[in-house]
Amino acid sequence: MNAVQEKNPLKRVNAEVDSRWTGLVERLHVDRSARRMLLLVVVAFAIFAALKPSVFLSGINLQNIAISSPEIGVIAIAMMLAMLTGGIDLSLVSIANLSAITMSTMFTAIAANNPDQAEQLFPLIVLVGLVVGLLGGAVNGLLVSRLGITPILATLGTMQIYNGIAVAWTGGKTLYGSPAALTSIGQSTVGGVPTLFVLFVVVAVLVGIIVKRTPLGLKVTLQGANPTAARYSGINSRAVLMSTYLLTGTLGGIAGVLFLARNPTASADYGASYVLLVIVIAVLGGTNPNGGFATVFGVVLATLTLQIVSSGFTALRLSAFQYSIAQGVILIAVMVIDQVQWRRRPRARRAAAVSS
Amino acid sequence: MSAGRSGLAERLRRLRGPNNEGVLALILLVLIVGMSIANPVFFTLPTAFSIMRSAIVPLIFALGVLLVIISGGIDVSFAAIAVFAAYTTVRVYGSGAIDLGLIGAFAMALVIGGMLGAINGFLIARFRLPTLIVTLGTQGIFKGVLLTYVGSRYIADLPSAMSWVSTTNLIEVTTDTGRAYLHVMVVPAIVLTLVLAWVLRRTMFGRSIYAIGGDAEAARRAGIRVVRTQVWLYVIVGMMAAIGGMIYMIMGRSASPQELVGGELDIIAAVVLGGASIFGGRGSVLGTVLGVFLVQVINNSLILAGVPSAWQRAAVGVLLLVGVGIQAVTARGSGRAALVHDAQEVTV
Repeated sequence: MNAVQEKNPLKRVNAEVDSRWTGLVERLHVDRSARRMLLLVVVAFAIFAALKPSVFLSGINLQNIAISSPEIGVIAIAMMLAMLTGGIDLSLVSIANLSAITMSTMFTAIAANNPDQAEQLFPLIVLVGLVVGLLGGAVNGLLVSRLGITPILATLGTMQIYNGIAVAWTGGKTLYGSPAALTSIGQSTVGGVPTLFVLFVVVAVLVGIIVKRTPLGLKVTLQGANPTAARYSGINSRAVLMSTYLLTGTLGGIAGVLFLARNPTASADYGASYVLLVIVIAVLGGTNPNGGFATVFGVVLATLTLQIVSSGFTALRLSAFQYSIAQGVILIAVMVIDQVQWRRRPRARRAAAVSS
Repeated sequence: MSAGRSGLAERLRRLRGPNNEGVLALILLVLIVGMSIANPVFFTLPTAFSIMRSAIVPLIFALGVLLVIISGGIDVSFAAIAVFAAYTTVRVYGSGAIDLGLIGAFAMALVIGGMLGAINGFLIARFRLPTLIVTLGTQGIFKGVLLTYVGSRYIADLPSAMSWVSTTNLIEVTTDTGRAYLHVMVVPAIVLTLVLAWVLRRTMFGRSIYAIGGDAEAARRAGIRVVRTQVWLYVIVGMMAAIGGMIYMIMGRSASPQELVGGELDIIAAVVLGGASIFGGRGSVLGTVLGVFLVQVINNSLILAGVPSAWQRAAVGVLLLVGVGIQAVTARGSGRAALVHDAQEVTV
């Protein structure tokens, strides 16, 4: 790791080789993906810190990373949960926007009559935002668990519907207005760390506990690993899927609250690029898109990695388009390396059978 | 009596088609008749031609997506390939370096599209990666490379080799409701549709795609070269995307590298609506054509019915859910549920 701190680009290559080696060693461990992500975060951070320390290591830049990560991270965690069951949730960003629009409209409506009352009702407004998320998730859950529609199609449909409602509601315009308390939370810090980031960590820990320590988490994992086996083990698939999409919807609602806390505006097409970005993050964080394996820690680290690369590119004066290239290359490289390593394992007899 | 009834049932089943194409055609017909009664403006030649015109580009994209979906994958990079191939061609022609006429322009776009498709195909077939993830990655790469290294400028006028087609119409009719134009670019769309229908039904390559989508391992054991077929499949899909991109820019009479990308899911929705199974192995050109037209007709009807265009997205979403919802429920009833359930493991 010491090599990375030096500015010589050759040393960077060296560090990468080093990381590959460490990665190979860590294949033996169970939590391989989380460790690899940890390494990737450190390497990404070190590279940009070495290349442009004056801008990248400035307080404002670090603050920006910490403020922009939470909303993406919460949606990515929700995506991870959906993928854990073997599904996917494309409607998350639309749910988050719908929730933010509802909150903003509600605040503006109340404030038009009585500004003080609107401020006092701040907890209620946030609660309504979360309920919107929950309802959005409930619709997804019903479609997936009751009607048996494939998650990717069900959420593709609801994505269009939620987004359509949001566009029709706002008329395609940006809404202004949010409780001052929410905005001040968005700008406040706890011991130097932005409150939004603290909230993100809290959400991540809670979801982590649900996945690893509760019966529901176990059922969700089993459902994703092998739906047939789960059914024969007496797991109620419908209930599990319903709970999963309720949870992802609520996380979408939380993301909506974060949207509004960061900027006191709401619009139907905010974060349009997030839909595919969070899939990238979830997969990068070690989530198996076919279900059965995921770690919240890995997803949090993947979120940070992409935000670090994003802000690092900005610090180096590279464009958003170059960041888009980097994002794609990172995703495909990680997937290819994973696949090659998986095939090299002697245990994986299936790989040998398939690869001819 | 009973024989006659079962004969009728058999005929009805055949009319319904293997992927519910009959049902789709019926819905389309009911919609058109209903709209025509509600609003006489709808049932006119200008409307028909404008719907056909607006369906050209989505149809070409949808046919490419259909190929990928039949093979058991999902492609979200086709729009990026389309805009990459078409914009690069316009840039090269605009710089005056090469001018080989319209045919040359299309050939150049085809080569670019085919190469980008080959990248997808190589990654998917060689490393057996999930198609959604790979195309998600390549989408970002293609778009980024285009905007960083080729150009990010909006080009307001196309090179002369291409621009003359922009205003060429195949049919021009003057009716009492106004003049109706049918753009000449419907010709490549129709030709492509017919060729693809023939390839999928009658050629070894087409049948291999179905076989791979049904069960890749079974297809391999049956002697189909899975890797080679998949790579060619993505090359062809890349080429089709390039044609779609070229036609889009010719009909729009301008070239912008920021367009098209972002509308991928709408196209996928139309293909799924057309009866293609997201699990692979099922789908037809006819169904896809009907699916694309259904979406276009609904969009057009909503405008005529005075519904704000903002609701179009929601309407397509509802349509998609109703369509797949019916499919899912009937599949469960007819005992295919087990099959569908098992297939869920290999999705995405």
